[in-house]
Amino acid sequence: MKHLITRLGVLLCMLFFANVALAQFTVNGKVSDANGEPLIGVSILVKGTTVGTVSDLDGNYRLDVPGESATLEFSYTGFGGQSIEVSSSNTNVNMTMTEDIAKLDEVVVTGLASSIKRSNLANAVSTISSSQLTGVTTQQTVDGALYGKLTGVNIVSSNGAPGGGIAIRLRGISSLSGNNQPLIIVDGVYITNAEIPSGSRFASGANSGSEEGSSNRLADLNPADIENIEVLKGASAAAIYGTRANAGVIIITTKKGRSGATKVSLDQDVGFNTIQKFVGRRTFANAQEVAETFPNEPDAPNQWQEAVNSGKLFNYEEEIYGETGLISDTRLKVSGGNAKTQFYVSGAYRTEDGIIKNTGFDRLSTRLNINHKISDNLSISSYTNYVNSQASRSFTGNENEGGLSYGYTLAFTRDYVDLFPDEDGIYPDNPNYTGNPLFVRDRAKNEETNNRLIQGFNADWKIFQRDNQILRFNLGGGLDLLNNETFVYVPEDHQGTRGNDNGFVAVGKNKIFNYNYQAFLNYDYYSDSGISFSTSAGVSYLSFDRDFVLNRATQLNPLQTNLQQAGAQQISQRIEQEEEFGIILQEQVNWDDKIIATVGVRFDKSSLNGDPNEYNLFPRASIAANIANFDFWSVDAISQFKLRVAYGETGNSADFGSLFTSLSAVNINGTPGFLINSQQGNTGLVPETSSELEFGADLSLFDNKLGVEISYYIRSVNDLLYDRSLPSSSGFTNEIRNDLQLENRGLELGLNINPVSTPNFNWVTGVNFWFNRSEITQLGTPDGDNDPNDVPSFVPPGVAFGLGLGTFFIDEGSPITALWGRDADGNAVINGDTEPDFQLGWWNEFNIAKNFSVNFLVHWKQGGDVLNLSRLLTNIGNTTPNDLLDREGFIEDGSYFRLREVGAYYTIPLSTPFIDNIRLGVSGRNLLTLTDYSSYDPETSTKGGTGLSNSIEVTPFPSSRQAYFHLSLNF
Amino acid sequence: MKKINLLYLLGFLFFFAACEIDEQVDPNAPSINSVLTDASLTELNLLVSGTEAGVRNGFGTYVTSSGSIAREFYKFDADPRNTEDLLGKEGTPLDNNTFYLTAPYNTRYRAIKNCNILLEALDNTNSVTEGEKDAYRGFANTMKGLMLFHVLNLLNDNGIRIDVADPLNLGPFVSKDQAFSEIVSILEDGFSQVQGSSFSLPLSIGYTGFDDADAFGQFNQAITAKVLTYAGDYSGALDRLSKSFLDLNGDINAGPQHVFSTASGDIFNPLFKTPGQSGDQLVVHNSVIEDAEDGDARLAKFRLRADPTSLDGLNGTHETALYETSTSPISIIRNEELILLYAECSIQTGATQDGIDAINIIRNAHGLADYSGGTDSDSLIDEVLNQRRYSLWGEGNRMFDLRRYGRLNDQFVPIDRAGDIIHTQFPIPLTEG
Repeated sequence: MKHLITRLGVLLCMLFFANVALAQFTVNGKVSDANGEPLIGVSILVKGTTVGTVSDLDGNYRLDVPGESATLEFSYTGFGGQSIEVSSSNTNVNMTMTEDIAKLDEVVVTGLASSIKRSNLANAVSTISSSQLTGVTTQQTVDGALYGKLTGVNIVSSNGAPGGGIAIRLRGISSLSGNNQPLIIVDGVYITNAEIPSGSRFASGANSGSEEGSSNRLADLNPADIENIEVLKGASAAAIYGTRANAGVIIITTKKGRSGATKVSLDQDVGFNTIQKFVGRRTFANAQEVAETFPNEPDAPNQWQEAVNSGKLFNYEEEIYGETGLISDTRLKVSGGNAKTQFYVSGAYRTEDGIIKNTGFDRLSTRLNINHKISDNLSISSYTNYVNSQASRSFTGNENEGGLSYGYTLAFTRDYVDLFPDEDGIYPDNPNYTGNPLFVRDRAKNEETNNRLIQGFNADWKIFQRDNQILRFNLGGGLDLLNNETFVYVPEDHQGTRGNDNGFVAVGKNKIFNYNYQAFLNYDYYSDSGISFSTSAGVSYLSFDRDFVLNRATQLNPLQTNLQQAGAQQISQRIEQEEEFGIILQEQVNWDDKIIATVGVRFDKSSLNGDPNEYNLFPRASIAANIANFDFWSVDAISQFKLRVAYGETGNSADFGSLFTSLSAVNINGTPGFLINSQQGNTGLVPETSSELEFGADLSLFDNKLGVEISYYIRSVNDLLYDRSLPSSSGFTNEIRNDLQLENRGLELGLNINPVSTPNFNWVTGVNFWFNRSEITQLGTPDGDNDPNDVPSFVPPGVAFGLGLGTFFIDEGSPITALWGRDADGNAVINGDTEPDFQLGWWNEFNIAKNFSVNFLVHWKQGGDVLNLSRLLTNIGNTTPNDLLDREGFIEDGSYFRLREVGAYYTIPLSTPFIDNIRLGVSGRNLLTLTDYSSYDPETSTKGGTGLSNSIEVTPFPSSRQAYFHLSLNF
Repeated sequence: MKKINLLYLLGFLFFFAACEIDEQVDPNAPSINSVLTDASLTELNLLVSGTEAGVRNGFGTYVTSSGSIAREFYKFDADPRNTEDLLGKEGTPLDNNTFYLTAPYNTRYRAIKNCNILLEALDNTNSVTEGEKDAYRGFANTMKGLMLFHVLNLLNDNGIRIDVADPLNLGPFVSKDQAFSEIVSILEDGFSQVQGSSFSLPLSIGYTGFDDADAFGQFNQAITAKVLTYAGDYSGALDRLSKSFLDLNGDINAGPQHVFSTASGDIFNPLFKTPGQSGDQLVVHNSVIEDAEDGDARLAKFRLRADPTSLDGLNGTHETALYETSTSPISIIRNEELILLYAECSIQTGATQDGIDAINIIRNAHGLADYSGGTDSDSLIDEVLNQRRYSLWGEGNRMFDLRRYGRLNDQFVPIDRAGDIIHTQFPIPLTEG
């Protein structure tokens, strides 16, 4: 290892002396857009050198160019790159730039401290700009805002409550035991996206924390602060992130100030949450039908008849889920700066009520981003974000006899029982189940509060610069400190707790502290032959600390919510510590933007591995050929034709604790004891690794008005970590193993078109189309080799509810996303597949007469089955709506066609000294859904976002649709 | 350019490269290895308490799974499998990977593992004397025997694994007969170890009166007698009963208990159900009420519901009143059962009058007159089973009692819904391969 760095140093030293002084001349001019408006901050670079500048507030630039003649390259975010010849006799050059539909000149951050123009990129890296993210409608959460906007992504919503509960899967399943969620990096900080359970399961009887429907902590990030999001979907793009990147990497960059006049904007949105769809309730035509439905309950027909006669037949679904939740989102942004210092300050407050009374989400977020140039050679940046968020999520999803989850309770509750409180405010017991949902709604609580500080920093030191070479040192990193508090309260007079727990309070105090840093040397060298070299070497370190303390109290004193006001207390604590260190080397060779080749390698070690100091190697290599840049290319209509192929490997270590075989703490009548933990540790664990081969082509046609991007990937996951059931007679029920292999293959197609482009009417549209297919290629030893130690097909623990009801099942040769059940003989058979056949997103932007814009995004998911166990419950409780009574089985087609986002805005230009413009708008989210799925939303997961969890529904928090009015004042 | 700077930077990178990650230690719990060698007295005692706590886990499901199959009661809760699979609705077989089997099975073996860890720890420590070690060993083997007995009751003719000390090299499934004899041999080991040992184990108040070497030995022999009775070795059982705490004239409720509390980390009595509660209730099978003799005080175990309850085409008028509160103790084995085992074994070995006397002790204790039926062995066994049905209702015996006498079928067990079937044993769990 040391040898590599030493050699690299020698190489760098040698290159320093290869510079020669030359004559120079000065070029100046003005840069403007197609409408003649000056463009500020356009980057102008002498091709093949490091010499460059940026345009000023009036769009003017001035640049000293070495030599007698040169090519200037102009680039600006959102605009197509331009280049022009200059010479000592041609020194006044004005430039008009046009919008870039295919985003060829966008700069994409591909390495930990290096970036590349999109047109030279060898991977399909999706970038979402702030206008795509939040331009159409106001977003609740960052992850929810990505639906339909990226190829290769599958977003799973486990909870429709305000504040989210969303999992992002990039290019299929990459892990069974660990986190299937991408690494999220915000301004260089590895932030936590944990779902922190509240402990409500101890009152509701839910099987695990994942069934509590917790929100994931990406919800804390204010989407309006985001400048862009880059998504490295697979190992070929993400290899340089090594052992954390198996599920992909999402790089979020927040907004920065720009030099120039201080801009102030104030945005106010007002909106409404309403349920997307009511499933309906069982109704009865007459007492006879009631008698037939409940043959063992002679009183039932009379009870029903009495309810009808007295007008006390209720619709409890509408009673619980029928609220209209008010949303208010207020944002104040101030940004600006001078040539040395730029700042961006924002404050935002979002408050949102859910479709269930007493549910909601509030988020207060402040941000200060500062960039400062200490000298021409040294610049520093600081990104500070404080968030206070609060959510009241109430009780939904799976449970067992807790009487808390609304949907579960409603499945058994008949509409002819009267559950409303009497004059004294006493809620009657629910004769059909262990809880009165109206009581739970009005009296029980499930809340969380987060206080969070995310601080990123970056320092860039230009150590050395010559015309044809530059050496930079970059130090970056930051911390994410999250203090999460959860509070669950079930009053002592709740039906399900009386006589047992006699009330329940859970207070969680959870701390997550992540910090990371990285140090890099980047050396760029432009040779005379038109070949440039970009070399990076660096190290990266991260440390994650988690300390979760949950205090529970039962046997509550009447009306008390303090932990002490209780007859019994239970404490549990879980500490997790992770450390990782990596060494990264990368070399990129660019031959005149014609052929761009990259090789890189990362060595990682992790405290989660069996041997914490053993380096694991993650290589990458890629090559892109810009055919259209070769001299022989003569098709003018096609300005870019790129062929690319990329290979890379990433890793993922086992969950914390997988190495240990421990003794759990138990207690009998006050005396503590040791009881062997049912998980057998495995000290031989190595990280699971994903290797991906991606190839594709990018085309840009007709002056960049049509962009096409097509990619195909083959992504294998080797040494997949999985939680396997052991013969439980061993005393252990499960262990983590490493001998499973999986393959995902998929196609991604992106089209960007600008069909009409006139000053008064501009239409930009795009289509994203993608699908993924998975196959378990090997489990244990290959099937058919009759090895007695081969691992038989199995049901992974905790992902579903067994073969009887339908589950995921690990079977060599089958897709990992399949839903399995039993046939008549009791054998496991595939009954469905949660993987969609394909997904398609279609977005449109219309700009009319400069001041009026209309945008919409539709999302079509074809296929992808959902196991609807909500209906199983309503069938048992005889509350399934009449029109669904004849449905056979519980696996349903989850296809849908949805109007995800739609918005229309009008800008009133004022251009007064006081105010620049006022923008008014209306927008909506999920306004229309066409689907055959019989329950609330085919996007569902009762087991939260981890592992295989997806597309199994047990009485979730129903999804809502939102409508907004917008007002923006820009000063 | 100063090359020196570059060298500094490279040095800086090397500095980071030298980053060493410490060997990992579980911050949340001790490792199993920490007790396997040089265990302290405290650690041994923690393993004892952990085992006593652990044997309670899953016992609730052991009782409700077997009790549902035996139609002692229905478990009405949110899980449909309690009224579908267990009652064989439309011929549904028992699943080999569902909670009604895996919960009791896994917890029994987890407790056995804890016993094995205790036994291994004892072999590798000098913190207690040999005499003290024998007390720990006797406890571990007694608990192991009891747990294996439960597993055998569930799996029956499928046989069970006995040798499970090495998780990587599990012993074979042995036949039912062999399992019985091995369980008895483990229990007998425990008995001989406990005899004369220096017994000062940190047992809970559930073992009050059974917390010295002699008394614990009597408890061990009571378990052994029950196992032998189930195995059909009635004279062997009578011999063990004589060494047990059987007392024909004593308190029928005497015996060690599983205790529960509200202490942190402790659990509640899983078989307690809130009076009047719907949605999570043990509803007494109507036949149990209908078949009871008038005046039987044991009817107090059943509470008449204000509203009859029904679920999945099943209904009942009474609910369980077996336990008063959520921390009421559950009997592990008590004198009442020993008297009934004595009756059964006496009848089976021809000591008819001893059997009748024992039956009458139980009948009288519950407000019933002396037995007046036939004194042939078949009639008397009928009566013993009838007394066991009411004396041990809801305690996890009925299914096995019926099966022992070939009565776990629709001739003796009521079918409530057309198409229901009566399961006779649980399948080998899926994970056992």
